[in-house]
Amino acid sequence: MNTPLSTDIALEAKQLMVVRSGQVVLQQLSFVVEKGQIFALLGGNGAGKSTTLLTFLGFLPPTAGAAYVQGLNVEQHTREVRQAIAYLPEATTLYTHLSAQENLSYLLTLAGRQIDRAAIDKALDTVGLPTRAHAQRLDAYSKGMRQKVAIALALLRETPILLLDEPTSGLDPVAIDELNTLVQNLAAEGRTVLMVTHDVYGACQVADRIALLHNGSLVGTFSASKGAPIDTNTVHTAFKEQTVR
Amino acid sequence: MMNPLRIAADEWRLWYRSRLAMVGLAAVIGLLAGTATITALRVHTESKDRTEGQVQADEHFLTQPDRHPHRMIHYGHYVFRTPAPLAIFDPGIDALTGDAIFLEGHRQNSATFASAQASTNLGGFGALTPALMYQLFVPLLLIAFGHSVILRERELGTLPTLLAQGLSTSTLVAGKMLALVGLITLLLLPALLVLFFALANGASAIVSLTVVLSYALYLLVWAAIIMLASLTSRHRSWALGVLLGIWFSWTLLIPRLGATITRLRIPTAGKIEMDLLMQEDIRRAGDGHNATDPAFVNIRTELLAQHNVERVEDLPVNIRGVVAEASEAALTTIMNRYANTRMRLEVSQAKAVTSFGWLSPPLALSAASQTLAGTDLATHHRFLREAEKLRLDFVQGLNRIHAQQLRYQDDIDRSRNTEAEKRTRVSAESWSLLKKFSFSRAQANDRISVAFRYWMMLIAWVAGIAVACGLATRRLAP
Repeated sequence: MNTPLSTDIALEAKQLMVVRSGQVVLQQLSFVVEKGQIFALLGGNGAGKSTTLLTFLGFLPPTAGAAYVQGLNVEQHTREVRQAIAYLPEATTLYTHLSAQENLSYLLTLAGRQIDRAAIDKALDTVGLPTRAHAQRLDAYSKGMRQKVAIALALLRETPILLLDEPTSGLDPVAIDELNTLVQNLAAEGRTVLMVTHDVYGACQVADRIALLHNGSLVGTFSASKGAPIDTNTVHTAFKEQTVR
Repeated sequence: MMNPLRIAADEWRLWYRSRLAMVGLAAVIGLLAGTATITALRVHTESKDRTEGQVQADEHFLTQPDRHPHRMIHYGHYVFRTPAPLAIFDPGIDALTGDAIFLEGHRQNSATFASAQASTNLGGFGALTPALMYQLFVPLLLIAFGHSVILRERELGTLPTLLAQGLSTSTLVAGKMLALVGLITLLLLPALLVLFFALANGASAIVSLTVVLSYALYLLVWAAIIMLASLTSRHRSWALGVLLGIWFSWTLLIPRLGATITRLRIPTAGKIEMDLLMQEDIRRAGDGHNATDPAFVNIRTELLAQHNVERVEDLPVNIRGVVAEASEAALTTIMNRYANTRMRLEVSQAKAVTSFGWLSPPLALSAASQTLAGTDLATHHRFLREAEKLRLDFVQGLNRIHAQQLRYQDDIDRSRNTEAEKRTRVSAESWSLLKKFSFSRAQANDRISVAFRYWMMLIAWVAGIAVACGLATRRLAP
């Protein structure tokens, strides 16, 4: 089932079909994400965006078709695939009995990365978490602060691929801008980003390519031309057409 | 290799930071330590009392004045069984069976002074012992701590975060299991202290170690079933409800159901009923106090023929002593027959009840624990048999003195002739024929080999649940 892939391809969905509880969530979904690219999956609620990410992580087995990460079939190489991916879930899920520093230290050690406290603090500073909060338990954090810790975790994993599920959820406008800059810097370093969002404006600002999903199928793709971002109006119109239909 | 340890350490950190968990843990450990101390003190006092009781009983018997030997047979003697060193951990059925027996001629008395008959225990509940704490209450603490080990990750949504770090579900489950094993180890520390104390008081090291391992194995069964519930349940209330239902079934329902079914399957006659039947047989065997009882005609005839004399007065032995000895032997055969029947039935019942250990691990553990501690039914039967052997030895010894040292004519005349009565008194030095009673329990190896039978039940439980956990781990997904 392994398809020989170009070494430039980080992620590939090939005729992907996922059925959950008797409902078809993804059907005939095919796309590729090249290395160093920022790829945004855009769509309304229930379009299948998060399901696509979960399939790439091996959390959901495809009913048909296959997902590939760096040429590896996800179903057959789940462990290797997960080590190559940093995942930021939609609902920030970290341990509330631990501080930001402890969360990162614990989860990174489980991922096989020994990161010292200074590097953790630096990453937390990078994502804009106040220094005084680094050692506080997460049960005292706002949703946005938790999101920043989760982003810091994704950064510290230093994986070639990042899967971000609604990364701007809960962040204030300044933090959203900072995150977008961060994502672009990561892509510039050669890391691949597959993000899921229903924020058309934000997606157009950062993504090199946007795929529009509706009812589990790809209904349109948009690419940035050299030096110019994807046109927000075009994507917005397409998005409205699909979701209103 | 290190990740299970890290996961276990984080689970411990969570417990440590939860005030409620720490209070619960401290309360149970305090209760275990308290129960262990109280039980150890109680058993120590009982042991001292029984040792002193035996010394006093020996003294009383040996310091009796010159007497007719048959009076000494009826004067009787007490034998005491000191508690097993491991009774400080598991007193088993000691509280129900009694620890002293009054030995006398023509009767096999039941053991007396059972502490369950003491007024403080008349409420219908047995005393709280370390063994009972581990069998009943420690599993509840494990349930409180462990029911959400996996479930919480699922409920809080941290499961995908964990798995996304490249962690396998088996590593996660191994880590959580390790956390529970750590908790079990901590909870077994008071037991270890008690067993060290028992060791210092003469308990076998290998048996003490086996007791700890038995409890560890038992708590492992609980850890495994708790893990299975946490792996397969979607909600805490469901996991908690199922586990409390299992606790209720295993600790209360099945043991009582087992006892009821056993009573129906293997009925036993009550003590009064058995005693009446036995008395009937004893009556038929003749009255050993009456040398002219028709039941002993043969003895009389044989003796006269053997010594070639016409009258019993001319025999070189006192026929009353000979008849008493023969009668006691015949009575003992009858009494032993009834005693053995009763003991066999009790053993069958006990075996039938413990076979329910295949359905209830606490039953299997309880049987293993009592066997190892030497506080089980087999030990009680051993005490009855050893006491009976001593009874028969000293009664027959006195009967032989009666036959050999007392003249028949004096024996006949002693109630109406003071001088004859004086001549029927034998020297008090003869009372030293009474051997010192020292109860010996079964050897360590024998106890361990019997307990192994119950270990198999616990091992089967662990293995069965481990397989189910393995299957559930494979299916674990966010």
